[in-house]
Amino acid sequence: MSGGVNASPNGARTRFKIRNPQDFYGGVVLVAFAVIALLATRELPGMHGFAFGPGTAPRMFAMLLMGMGFLIMAIGIFTDGPKVERYAFRGPLLVVAAVMVFAGTIRPLGLVISSFVSILVAAAAAEDVNWIESIIWSAILTLFCSLLFPYALNLPLYIWPRF
Amino acid sequence: MSDLFANLLMGFSVVMTPINLGLCLIGVLVGTLIGVLPGIGPVATIAMLLPITFGLPPVGALIMLAGIYYGAQYGGSTTSILINIPGESSSVVTTLDGFQMAKQGRAGPALAIAAIGSFFAGCVSTVLVAALGAPLTSIALLFGPAEYFSLMVLGLVFAVVLAKGSIPKAIAMILMGLLLSMVGSDLETGAARMSFDIPELSDGIGFVNVAMGVFGFAEILRNLEQPEQRSIVQAKVTGLMPTRDDLIVAAPAIGRGTVLGSILGILPGGGAVIAAFAAYTFEKRMAKDPSRFGRGAIEGVAAPESANNAAAQTSFIPLLTLGIPPNAVMALMVGAMTIHGIVPGPQVMTKQPELFWGMIASMWIGNLMLVIINLPLVGIWVRLLRVPYRHLFPAILIFCCIGVYSINNSPFDVVITGCFALFGYWLAKHDFEPAPMLLGFVLGPLMEENLRRAMLIARGDATVFATRPLSAGLLVVAFGLLIIAVLPMIRKRREEVFIE
Repeated sequence: MSGGVNASPNGARTRFKIRNPQDFYGGVVLVAFAVIALLATRELPGMHGFAFGPGTAPRMFAMLLMGMGFLIMAIGIFTDGPKVERYAFRGPLLVVAAVMVFAGTIRPLGLVISSFVSILVAAAAAEDVNWIESIIWSAILTLFCSLLFPYALNLPLYIWPRF
Repeated sequence: MSDLFANLLMGFSVVMTPINLGLCLIGVLVGTLIGVLPGIGPVATIAMLLPITFGLPPVGALIMLAGIYYGAQYGGSTTSILINIPGESSSVVTTLDGFQMAKQGRAGPALAIAAIGSFFAGCVSTVLVAALGAPLTSIALLFGPAEYFSLMVLGLVFAVVLAKGSIPKAIAMILMGLLLSMVGSDLETGAARMSFDIPELSDGIGFVNVAMGVFGFAEILRNLEQPEQRSIVQAKVTGLMPTRDDLIVAAPAIGRGTVLGSILGILPGGGAVIAAFAAYTFEKRMAKDPSRFGRGAIEGVAAPESANNAAAQTSFIPLLTLGIPPNAVMALMVGAMTIHGIVPGPQVMTKQPELFWGMIASMWIGNLMLVIINLPLVGIWVRLLRVPYRHLFPAILIFCCIGVYSINNSPFDVVITGCFALFGYWLAKHDFEPAPMLLGFVLGPLMEENLRRAMLIARGDATVFATRPLSAGLLVVAFGLLIIAVLPMIRKRREEVFIE
């Protein structure tokens, strides 16, 4: 836990300062989730008589989550803690892009094309990507997958595009 | 007692078919193969390998999954010892002394002791699972909805208390999991809940999607950020056998680790991670010369490895008898069982005895296979560890994608998993633990159902949870634990093992 206490050089003591941003913003997002859940369930019927309705339990848990969210925000304000680590951009973006490419192409284009392309997109996520190596590796993996899953494991996957 | 042996015998007769033995073997091998890869723990391993069991009959599939689980556990220890990177959290403590031993050229004995300890612990806890199975099942039959609800509260409280880090955050994660589990149609009325008019969401969010997203994919995102630094032990692994002195020192540690692990495994919320930490701390306390720890003490490998394996196995007890998964791995097992049409709980033992006892027997066989197979294969695992991460992660990613897709042949599931990957990444950045969320996610539907039923039976009287003695007892324990955990003293002590 380093870099927790960061003294502001310009003596900005008068400004309201969040001492533990990691917790504070974490709490904010949890509260936001709870609010979304409450909004999404507001039209569901609640208790009728002594029976729970479909909306009762989700609203109950959403309220509790909101409470914890506020508590965590409060902890973020009143205690010292680490800063939020920097978010990487390249890795998450390309890895998730690869997942989405797979989801989008597996049905229309089949396993071979879909996995070859997604593996290449994923490979670009590494800082030390070497394209020639990646293309070869991607081809090997694609071959392996198209033998393993549809044939060895008998999963119902289309291998080639369907028109 | 004779019943026990008759049952175990039946179990062995189920497992001892060439096909089931083969499945167990494949499970152990593949589990180790994936478990050895850094950053892939048992949860991600099981989630990833789930599709390969789809085509199998339920008994075979569960035997294979159990094999995968032990294999993944053991694979994690191998990386801890050889490259100082725990393959999964339950072998974090093994790195402390295991890697030191490897540096001193004693990687062989360290690996062997880990395997022997695991095997011994596995044998003891298999018998324990078999012995406790029947009595606990009869207790389970006394449980009404109120008791079930309170028991689950207790389980979740355990998960909070034993999670590392902040308690409010762990509670928030459980609530998050409970809330996520409610997406989809309401079981009683069929009303769509929080599905935002997306038809694919009306069936709810798949458990494997959440698990794979926050454990598998998010871990890849985390690993990509850190520059690769692996200090693989260059010295050849020679001389696997521990010396006589090693065995004399390690034997009592293995025994203590087994006992501690077996107990902690049964407790809800516990599991392999806590068991390993507790066993290590305990050994250090017991030792005449605690300074040896962290410098290659063989007890420091033997005790936690035995403990985590014992716990890995006894954590099947609450699942198989009460139908309540005590930790994230078991939660995944529930998912796997449901896919095969088995509802875990007391009825498994009475209605499908061959499945119950077959699985227990396969635990023992799986452990035996680990010892026989893995030690000679250490060389292969070492070579696998030399593969650079930039080649590993696309392979992991594509296997996971195909796995997730093939559960329902639904591209939407893959998209959801991708979203949970980002969510898991965010959680890690804000130091939230995903494991309690997963547990909440699995227990959510069960909890809601029992809560609703209990309230209905009690005609809306919420005091039912406090007036039924068994339920009240469970709740008292739960609140007591929570209060103890909030006291800062004890929290500090839990950190002790990290010091040095």
